[in-house]
Amino acid sequence: MTVSLADLPKGHEFPETRFEMTSKWVSEYVSAVEDDAIGSLSHGACPPLAIAALSIRALLDRASLPEGSIHVAQELSFSLGRPPSGALVARARIASRGERQGWVLMGIELLVEDELRIPMMTGRATITFPTEGAK
Amino acid sequence: MTQQAQGSRVYTVGDELPTVKRVLSQEKINRYAEASGDHNPLHMDPAFAATTQFGGTIAHGMLVLAYISEMMTVAFGERWLRSGRLKVRFRGAARPGDTVTASGRVSRIEGESTLCEVACRNQAGEPLISGEAEVRT
Repeated sequence: MTVSLADLPKGHEFPETRFEMTSKWVSEYVSAVEDDAIGSLSHGACPPLAIAALSIRALLDRASLPEGSIHVAQELSFSLGRPPSGALVARARIASRGERQGWVLMGIELLVEDELRIPMMTGRATITFPTEGAK
Repeated sequence: MTQQAQGSRVYTVGDELPTVKRVLSQEKINRYAEASGDHNPLHMDPAFAATTQFGGTIAHGMLVLAYISEMMTVAFGERWLRSGRLKVRFRGAARPGDTVTASGRVSRIEGESTLCEVACRNQAGEPLISGEAEVRT
């Protein structure tokens, strides 16, 4: 059973997760977000937020969002000098966790590298959820 | 209408970026949930969502944020992919039926960096996302 993010402490490091940016999945993502611009770039260009979405999906396979979670803020930096291909490796850790007025505020740092360990994306997501969902 | 990336254009402080406008629907939110794997009932289950502070389903923040990323792709082309940075706050909920407009303006140019104020608003002008985006040459 997948653990809930609500049960994880500050400093928790998620196991490395490998995932592939298949062209089929990227097409589904581009269709879902209706990105008309990416197709006018070089062949195989991928929206940077697709990498964020897929790495978050990999993370959610390891830890579920508590009920009532709200995405509060997002930071992302990416360096896609070439289209992503092959397996990507995502690492994540809970960088901060605090409680205030019945809500948990949690910061999750994310790093995505290619197979050669060259960083492609770094980010930090801030989410909040009710403390009754937390231990 | 299909947007064409204009990455070769040179922007100066005060320039407006080309806007991106999208109409949300529950079907689009469901499609994003499938692609992203985020099946939070707040986005997909109207009965559950009706019991929350939002009173109904809302779009994933990352779906709405994708409209800002598309706007930056239109404005800066490959530069956005090579060296983009985003720092935003999600300020309001986007709902099925909303028309979301992503907009931006060049606020500073510092050396090789072009910094832009970016935002998404709904049809009432209410802020959904605000923050800063940066590209480098």
